[in-house]
Amino acid sequence: MTASGSKPLQTVGFLTVRETEEHGYLGGYLVLNPAGRPLEFHCTVPVIPNRAQVILYGPTLKPFIYGEQIGQTLVNKANSKPAFVCVDVEAALTLSDHTSCPVLLVSPNSTNQTPSSYRHDSAHDAPPTSHTNFATFAMGNNRVSLPAEHGDDKETVTKRWQALTTELDLWEPFGRIHEAIGEAQRGATPRG
Amino acid sequence: MHHPDANRQNMPPRDMSVPNVTSLDVLLSVTDFPTGWNSAIARWPRVDVETSNLAAACPQTVSISLRKARIKTIGLTFPELPMIDEQTDPSAGQRKNDRTCKRVKGAQARSQTRIAPPRDIIKLEDRLYYLLQPPLETILASAAMHMPFEPFPYQYQGIAFLYSRYSAILADEMGLGKTMQAITAVRLLLHSAQLRSILLICPKPLVTNWKREFALWAPELPLCIIEGDQAKRNWQWQELSAPIKIANYELLMRDREVVLDNNLEFDLVVLDEAQRIKNRSSTTSQITRAISRTRNWALTGTPVENSSEDLVGIFEFLSPGYLQSGMSARRMAKAAGDYILRRTKDKVLTDLPPKLYRDAELDLTPEQWAAYKIAEDEGIVQLEGMGTELTIQHVFELVLRLKQICNFDPATGASSKLERLEADLEEVAASGRKAIIFSQWVNTLDKIRQRVAQFGPLEYHGKIPSKQRDGILQQFREDDSKRVILMSYGAGSVGLNLQFCRYVFLYDRWWNPAVEDQAINRAHRIGAVGSVTVTRMLTLNTIEERINQVLEEKRALFDIILSQTDAPASLGLSQDDVFGLFNLRTSKGPLKSAA
Repeated sequence: MTASGSKPLQTVGFLTVRETEEHGYLGGYLVLNPAGRPLEFHCTVPVIPNRAQVILYGPTLKPFIYGEQIGQTLVNKANSKPAFVCVDVEAALTLSDHTSCPVLLVSPNSTNQTPSSYRHDSAHDAPPTSHTNFATFAMGNNRVSLPAEHGDDKETVTKRWQALTTELDLWEPFGRIHEAIGEAQRGATPRG
Repeated sequence: MHHPDANRQNMPPRDMSVPNVTSLDVLLSVTDFPTGWNSAIARWPRVDVETSNLAAACPQTVSISLRKARIKTIGLTFPELPMIDEQTDPSAGQRKNDRTCKRVKGAQARSQTRIAPPRDIIKLEDRLYYLLQPPLETILASAAMHMPFEPFPYQYQGIAFLYSRYSAILADEMGLGKTMQAITAVRLLLHSAQLRSILLICPKPLVTNWKREFALWAPELPLCIIEGDQAKRNWQWQELSAPIKIANYELLMRDREVVLDNNLEFDLVVLDEAQRIKNRSSTTSQITRAISRTRNWALTGTPVENSSEDLVGIFEFLSPGYLQSGMSARRMAKAAGDYILRRTKDKVLTDLPPKLYRDAELDLTPEQWAAYKIAEDEGIVQLEGMGTELTIQHVFELVLRLKQICNFDPATGASSKLERLEADLEEVAASGRKAIIFSQWVNTLDKIRQRVAQFGPLEYHGKIPSKQRDGILQQFREDDSKRVILMSYGAGSVGLNLQFCRYVFLYDRWWNPAVEDQAINRAHRIGAVGSVTVTRMLTLNTIEERINQVLEEKRALFDIILSQTDAPASLGLSQDDVFGLFNLRTSKGPLKSAA
């Protein structure tokens, strides 16, 4: 599958958002080549919703911040157009409505190691939504899900995955992004 | 007005049948009084009209903007790293489709070794570059990066340690695969275009070992072994087609002018057995420090061989001035901590066959004992008589003389050690095993060779020409009739892989436990097929026993400086230690070193 009909898309995007009480939401977007090497990394400064947004968005706040605000901003910043974008938290799937790339929710497999600094916020800890709203299938060693309303993307995604000829572990890069976000945050914080 | 009493009064009596109706005038008379108001009553009333606005007031509003705020981002772009050039590795294409080749299978499932940025990398972009790299297992497991064997997890950590460091000491205990870790790190950096020219310097006997290891772990990388006559070497130093040059320390001194030429610059210089440069004033240290380079790694199993000053010497190469003489061991350990990676076998190779020590504590033969007593008594008297003229060299001479008598009686050749050795070797040979025998003297090795001829002894020491050494090792490895190899500590203690040997004999003891460890680890290393039995020969009530006592105390302290606690000033025998061996005294008290 190609983006423009001629050149295969040879990168994969990974988007995640880290939520901290102190700094709000920090987004990170990593673009990898099929060998898993980083090509681009973009992260946001802390995004802190105001009180009105918290009240008025209610339960839709996180999907708004994760997918629309942070996700869309970061994906648009990247130079390369990925074959698809992987997210590790369901709230970020709203990115699907703001990008032409298919957006997949990746689930960890049994062999994935989760760093201690990882998956500590409420969005990541949220129980998975019933999969009746998702089209779930396997890609490599990972289980991935598409929102039901974007279920048509499955064929596109599968073809693009095959064209990549990669053995990428689709879960592992999220650990890198979380570490990089933490490092960027530490770098931005004055050391007393 | 109708008065009630009047009504009651006019009511007919109860006995009257016809009512009597009487009209009563109820009009009351009204009397008018003039008030003077009548004219006012005649006037028209004045009417004022007041208008009230009954329209509802507009409420005040507050607008809350829910527009998306512009989010600031930080962006980094990394260059697309080149993959292995398939042209340089003719077998790569075949391997890519060969799923049965020894790839790092299942490595991802077991562990993921991440590359961490070292502390001295400050720039955020540089730190993120390392953090965002895939796990080493992922890189190496790719079809193009073939590995003949799957590295141990601690080896992945060692590779990751070197990969991100511009200055590093890989100080793993002997036998843990420092060579392989360095080669793989070099390989990764070359393939990611972070290196283009590498100079590896090692002791001369180890050049072929490095060549062999490169062929095993990175067969696609072209090597240039610096050797031959001066003209050839001059050309080799300037030659650019091979990214990796391998030179030996001895040759480095001869080629000093060429090596330090301004035009010769390396992205990385690796020093194997880096304890060679622990003495900052040595020519070797001066030359290596002067080589123009960007990165420098030091490989050594004994970064602190004699004292913490050894580490200062190595750091003069890595990062001049970073460590200084006189720093406390604790401060030095803290400062150097991020640059040094040291693992020991007992910590990381829990499945390595055990190393069994079997000390052979022997009594001297009567002939040896008689010679020993005479030599010791006369020697001590002589030393004591020297007074202030006494130096460390005088004491050393006596120590060496006594140690040689512990090996053999000079007059008769009698030796309790040799008797024991012969018996042990018979057992070794009978069980189909092979043994290494170490001594500090070639002369001693000669005598042993004559007595153990039935085991086909081979020799590997300073008097064996370098060109013959590889052949000797190969013969020892492959020829079943050759059960024994006789080695000197100097020639056979570093870099050699003899893990097929199950027995090591230390016929006499070296001055420094680290050197003994290196010798033992020729056999006890990765690939050892079974337990390695080490027999340390020691004659009782002699100078050997006293030296051993001192060394055992020091051996226990060997790792202290690497575990961030105070270390002793010296780990080998110091001058005071040597004097103490004979408890030498003058009328003013114990002798001080005069050297």
